Parts: sequence; C-alpha cells; structure tokens
Amino acid sequence: MNSRIIEFLKATVGAAQVTNELIDLISHSTDASGFRHRPEVVVYATTTEQVSAILKMVHEERIPLTPRGAGTNVSGEAVPIKGGIVLDLSRMDQILEISLEDRVVVVQPGVIYADLNHQLAPLGFAFPPDPSSGKVATLGGNVATNAGGVRASKYGVTKDYVRGLQVVLPGGQVMRTGTRTMKSSSGFNLTQLFVGSEGTLGVITEITLKIAPKPTETYTAMATFQRLVDAGRAVSQIMRSGAVPSVLEIVEKNCIKAINQNTDLNLPEVEAVLLTETDGFVKEEALFQMNKIIETLRANGALEVRWAETAAEAEALWSARKSSYPVISRLNNTTFGEDITVPLSKVPDMLKALEELGAKYDLILPTVGHLGDGNMHPHFSYDRTNPDEVQRVKKAEKELYHKTIELGGTLSGEHGIGLAKAPFMSLEHDPVAMETMRALKKMFDPHNVLNPGKMNLEACHG
Amino acid sequence: MVEKLPGSRDFYDRIIRCNNCGFCEAACPIFKATRRSALNARGKMIILQDILADRQAICDELIETLFQCTFCSGCTTQCPAGVNVPEILRAVRKDMVNIGTCHAAFKGMDQVLDKHPNIYAAGERERFGRKVNQKAEIVFFMGCVGQYREEDAVEAALDVMDHLRVDYTLIEEVCCSGVLEDIGFAIHDDLVRKNVALVRSTGAKALVTGCPYCLRTFKHRAPYQPLRDLGLELLHISQFLTQFDFPVQTHLKVTYHDPCDLARHAGIYEAPRQTIKKIAPNFVELPNRRANSLCCGAGGGVRGAYPRNSLSMARQRLKEVEEVGADILLTECHSCVHNLSNARLRRQKFEIYTTSQFIRRLLEGQALVAANKAP
Ligand SMILES: Cc1cc2nc3c(=O)[nH]c(=O)nc-3n(C[C@H](O)[C@H](O)[C@H](O)COP(=O)(O)OP(=O)(O)OC[C@H]3O[C@@H](n4cnc5c(N)ncnc54)[C@H](O)[C@@H]3O)c2cc1C
Ligand code: SF4
Ligand code: SF4
Repeated sequence: MNSRIIEFLKATVGAAQVTNELIDLISHSTDASGFRHRPEVVVYATTTEQVSAILKMVHEERIPLTPRGAGTNVSGEAVPIKGGIVLDLSRMDQILEISLEDRVVVVQPGVIYADLNHQLAPLGFAFPPDPSSGKVATLGGNVATNAGGVRASKYGVTKDYVRGLQVVLPGGQVMRTGTRTMKSSSGFNLTQLFVGSEGTLGVITEITLKIAPKPTETYTAMATFQRLVDAGRAVSQIMRSGAVPSVLEIVEKNCIKAINQNTDLNLPEVEAVLLTETDGFVKEEALFQMNKIIETLRANGALEVRWAETAAEAEALWSARKSSYPVISRLNNTTFGEDITVPLSKVPDMLKALEELGAKYDLILPTVGHLGDGNMHPHFSYDRTNPDEVQRVKKAEKELYHKTIELGGTLSGEHGIGLAKAPFMSLEHDPVAMETMRALKKMFDPHNVLNPGKMNLEACHG
Repeated sequence: MVEKLPGSRDFYDRIIRCNNCGFCEAACPIFKATRRSALNARGKMIILQDILADRQAICDELIETLFQCTFCSGCTTQCPAGVNVPEILRAVRKDMVNIGTCHAAFKGMDQVLDKHPNIYAAGERERFGRKVNQKAEIVFFMGCVGQYREEDAVEAALDVMDHLRVDYTLIEEVCCSGVLEDIGFAIHDDLVRKNVALVRSTGAKALVTGCPYCLRTFKHRAPYQPLRDLGLELLHISQFLTQFDFPVQTHLKVTYHDPCDLARHAGIYEAPRQTIKKIAPNFVELPNRRANSLCCGAGGGVRGAYPRNSLSMARQRLKEVEEVGADILLTECHSCVHNLSNARLRRQKFEIYTTSQFIRRLLEGQALVAANKAP
C-alpha cells in the first residue's frame, strides 16, 4: 500500500489506530474459518466520521476494504481475500443509550454481545439472540451475519430486534435507516437489507436494537430416544401441539458417543437426547408449557424424561449440550460446523440423510441442532493433513448442501455465506434472486471495494 | 510440514488444533487491555500456524506477541479445543532463543541469574531479623519479589507466623529461576542445587512460601525433583494458615483476587477464602473469579518487558474491585500485590494487601483508612 494512503489513514484516525506491523496483518488475515489472506494495513476506526472519510477514499482509490468485528464468523466473511484494508470496528465499543421506556438500546458496532447483556441484566432486560460466541462476538458482527442462538424458535434472531441503523456507504455517504419505534410501514425496509449483508454493502456504525424483558422462571427437561426417528417425530409433534419451548435442542448418537469417550458425564448410549426449556415470568406459565411438552415426549417414545426445577439440576441437564462443542472440537485437528436449516417437518429426513452421508464417506458427523427452528450443526471432524480425508469431506459437504436445498432448506441458518458457501449460493437462490443481489451490490458499491469476493456477488463486476 | 520449530514438534498437533474461534479473547488480559487481537492467544496461534505451514518465517517482528504473554492460562480455560497456549509458547520460545530471536529483556534476565543469586541483581540480602539456615520445622521461602519488592508482605507473613508461634527458619535462598523456562531459557542447575542443599540442612518437614510461582516451580518443574525427593510438604502460606483461627474480625467489605499461579495453575481456590471469610464476614467476590479470574498482568516477565501493558492489565482488574465497592482487596501473590498496588489510581480508595498483611494490621489494631465506613 503506498505511503500516501497510509498517511491519509493516520491523519484520519490517528497514528496509533493504523498498523501495518506484521503481527497485526497476520492476526487480521483470518477469522474462525480456514481461509487466509493478509491485508496490507489494519485500521481501527472509532467514529462514524472516520469511517466515512475512509470509505470515500477507498471508493475513489479503488482499494478493497473488509470490515471486521471480532472475527469469530466461521465462513471467511472477515478475511480480506483481496488484500487492502481491514477496517476493525472492535474499538468502536460504546453503549450510547439504554432506554427502557422505548424498549431500545443504541450501541456502537464494536460492543461485545455479552457486555450489552451484562448492562441490561440488572434492569431485568436482555437482547435475546444469544449466539454461543456472545462472550467475544460484536453486535456489528451479529447484525452483519444475522446471528441467532438456542432460543431462536421463541425469541427470534438478530433481525427481529434491529430497529434502525446508521450505515456508511462506499463513497462515504452516511445513511440512517429505520426508526426507534416498535413498528414502521414507511418506505422500503432498508434496515433489513443490511442485516446479514456481511459487510458487502456498507459499514454499520450505529445500531438501534429492541430489547426484551428477561423471563425469570424456567423449567428444563431432558429426554432420551432409542430411535432417531422418534426424536424427530417428537419434535414435530411438540411444534404441532402449540407448545412454546424456549429451547429445543438435539444431541445425536455420534455426539453422545464422543461425549462419553471424552468426559465422565456418562450419558445413556441412545440415538438421541432432546433438551428442552420453557420460560415465563411466573412459574405456572413455564410449567404449563413444560407439562405439555413432556406429555408429547412421552407419547412419542421417549425412554426416559428427566426434569429440573432448580438451577443446579438444570445445569446438569444442560451439560450434555454444553459439552458437545468442546468435545467435538477435540476429536480431531479440524472441525467445521455446518449450519444448514430445514423446514421443521423435514428435520427427521435431514437427520437420516446425515447418517447416510457419514456412512457413504466414512466420516463421523457429530450433530447438535436447534430443532425448534430446524437449524442443525453437523460437524465435519477430520485431519486436515490427510488429503484423502479432506477430499471426502469436500464431497460430503457438497452433497449435504444439495440435500438441504432439496428438502426446502437453506445453506445457513445463522452463520452466513462468506467464502465457504459462496460457490453454492446459486443452488439456493434462483437466477433472478442472484441477479437482484448482484444489482444491489453494484448500486451500493459500484467499484466493488467493500468486502469483495464474498457471497458470490462478483459476476456483475466482471 | 516444515520443521521450523524443531523443539516444539510435540506441539504441532496442538498448534493446528486451534480453530481460531477467538473465544480466548474473553479471558486474555492483554487483549482486553489493548483490544489488539495480535496479542491475544488466537493471534499467537495464527502466527504459529503460518510458520508451520511455511507461510511465515521466524523473525524479530514476531517477538512482540510471542514473548508478550502473562502465562495466566485464561485462554486455556476458555478454549473449546483444549489448546494450552502457555505450554506451546514455552516450547516455541526455546526454539526462538536457539535461533537467536528473543526479547532483549528476557535474555537479560537469564544473564542476571548467571551472575547473581536473585532476579533483580540485588546485592544486599534481607533477613528481616529472623533466623537463617537453622534447624526448624518449617522453611519459609521468600521468593525474589517478596525479598526485594514486597518486603512488607514477607515480613507480615513472618509476623503472623511468630504470632502463631510457628517454628520456622529462613534460608539464604537463591532465585528458583522457574521463570526462565517460561521465557525461552532453562532453570539454572546451580541455583537448584543451592536451594535444595539449604532446605535439606534445616531438616524441615515443610516448606511454606508466599510466592505461588516458586511453589509451582518446586512442585512441578523437573530440575526440582531432588527437592521433592526430600519428602517435605510444599505449601503456600494460604494453605498453611487454614489450620489457625485469628482473634480478629473486620466489618470492612473485603474482596479477593485469585492469582493465576495459585488458582488456575495450582487449583488453590478455597484455602485463601477460608481464612478471609473467618476474619471478614463482609466478603464479596469479584465478577471474574476462581478459574475465570482475570490476570493482574504481572506474570511471564511481562511486567519487566512490557510495563505499560502490564499496568493497563492491572488497572482493568482494579476496575472490578471498584465495581463491587470493596474497601480491601486481598490477594495471595507477591507479584499480584506489587502490580496491583502500582496500578491503583489516586481516586481508588480501597487498600491492597496479602492476607497476612491484613491479618497483621488487624492484629495490631491499626486504624484502617476506611475504618470510618464500618458500622
Ligand atoms: C465456536 C463458535 C460458535 C458460534 N456460535 C454461533 C451461534 O450460536 N450463533 C451464530 O449466529 N453465530 C455463531 N458463531 C458465528 C459468529 O460468532 C457470528 O457470526 C458473529 O455474529 C460474528 O460476529 P463478529 O463480531 O465476530 O464478526 P466478524 O466475524 O468480525 O464479521 C462477520 C461479518 O460481519 C461483517 N461486519 C462486522 N462488523 C461490521 C460492521 N460494523 N459493519 C458491516 N459489516 C460488519 C464482516 O465484514 C463479516 O462479513 C459462532 C462462531 C464460533 C467460532
Ligand atoms: S496465557 Fe493469558 S496472556 Fe497469555 S495468551 Fe493466554 S490469556 Fe493471553
Ligand atoms: S479459544 Fe482455543 S481454539 Fe479458540 S482461538 Fe483461542 S486458542 Fe484457538
């Protein structure tokens, strides 16, 4: 990068917030994906004005720029695959306003998810999406990936809470979208266009989020199933019954086996364990829902149903689910968590397909899933120094995506597309939809400077 | 894979197991104080992965992060993949030192211990007017920080032991030199031999120390096997004190900082709390505590080599003390007490002590600055 540009950046944000030291370039060359490419310079912005000046410059100079929060996404979304600048927003980390009256908070994009909830908890409120990376991921990253979590079936995902944004566009124009009201029918919904846009359309510099009162009562239950199909059917029946679980998670046999081999939890060696939670503001409310769910679990072949009333008992039931990721990540030197999502009624078919896929490619696919919303995380666990195994994983992954789309599902429930799933975009989105996305990209970013190379949006730029 | 780091070969598999998830940022004191991801455990692992994959040569520019780590193991407790970053760095640093890429301050520490019996190259030996190299039930090992930077903490421990009529002796101790293994060098055998011989000649049944790092070195590092072979009990002062009751209590709000070396590394969480709760019924916990304790920033040679960041880390820990509104912060490590005291801002009115220092003050009935807050 030429020194004129570096000087401009230093003059814009201050010399201490610009670095081309080797260690910073390396640490910004990747995220939680396997993709790597080093930027030429890393810039930490702290104000909207700085972001605006920088986006004006990159637009004019045609320099690629990749926005970054905490770099926890798993699909290469924050990897500067075309080099250039990484714009790190993690130091733009102020909570600007908490308004319980309006039920909104206004935050800068670098605020860490857990830090916001730490402030809200004593007030009895929360920003509910709860991604499991919440201790480190930023709210800007959450918005740009439309992050979700285990309570999505009841509380929704990030997009359900974003009321308004301040966004800087390539060229430097600053735009406000949405409102701080609970509803709005005024004009196009520009806000949602940026939710899940993975930093390809604009840089988010301020976020207005709806917050929700935090339920105070919960019940937790765990059920075991000898047959996977029974577990799948139980889930479908729970959803049909009108019950409202706040959590409905599955841990399947490969995962259970791995947990038993690597911990002393001693889970029953069954095909599936379902974990469910109900919540409310009075015990009766949570209990009413839990009774309904337990009845359905029993009617659908659950072997054993255990439930917890105290926090300590609940903790014990959660341990199987909570230990699954650490256990899976230790099975081999490489773990890749898929994020496919299918219609609720297709959950049993997907579980069956995963089993077949594992057998066909001689891979184990330990799986956990947010079954209340059809989102499943089968994990490819393999040795990346073994080329044969890598090839089998690649083939299985491709087949997995095809199967998902065939069942009417989506490539990603909450992680996003980035580089990893870019080649499969047109599997899910028809040509008209792809063209529309590319046209939007071209309109916002005519010179393709903002996070280029992602989501297969490139075609229109030649 | 290229054999770039020959001595770290045992760790190759563990280095590539880091999936770059970034969860370690939640606990890494250096990252939290600087918000510079290159300094976090993940930043270090990405570099090592690049070296192993032949994308990066080892060079001096990498020192800034590979030699800047407090060895607190906060990252290890957060890591879903079970990657033990300090253990990996210890091996990598040895390799780097071997090829001549090392932090000047750390090289200096190794050289100091070639010539001097303590890490500060101090001439005068502090004896605190106590008996030295005598026969006794217990050897009290002061440690370099205790002897030359936090003398009062050592003296307080000795005063408390006097009050308890414990039969102990000091020895003409030399630096345990354990820290050298963290910074790319090796424990000095001559220092080990000296310490072991001195301990042996006292005939003591137990060695008690206020320095959790010395304790770890004695208990776990290979060169100290001869010390362990003496069969004496190796205790931290906080463990030793649990057997006693003290005729004092305070109404002040007291909190406790878990030192990494005592807590995460040695698993000693309860002992200090047991004593503190006896003398301070109004005890409150810090938000990050026990296995999730937040490092004070002093360890791994960072206080010497990167003093600014070290102080920022201590300041961020002290913010938590403000948050819980404590009058007194107790801790059980000379390095922690030293760094935290240096970092305290004028507006922060709480006082910082080791438990022994606080017990002594209570025993002496000294008026505490914040005593007027007591009911
Ligand atoms: C172990 C693990 C568990 C995870 N669990 C979950 C989970 O339960 N649910 C879930 O949804 N995700 C999960 N994730 C994925 C990831 O944590 C989320 O996608 C998170 O929202 C990313 O936030 P971040 O701050 O790390 O963003 P980054 O990874 O830094 O960036 C993600 C994308 O957002 C863009 N971006 C970041 N900030 C801005 C901004 N201010 N303006 C414009 N674009 C921006 C980047 O360019 C990039 O495209 C998990 C990841 C890991 C490693
Ligand atoms: S040991 Fe502590 S300072 Fe070192 S990388 Fe891990 S968390 Fe950071
Ligand atoms: S938590 Fe562990 S796996 Fe994740 S980035 Fe840190 S060291 Fe690597």
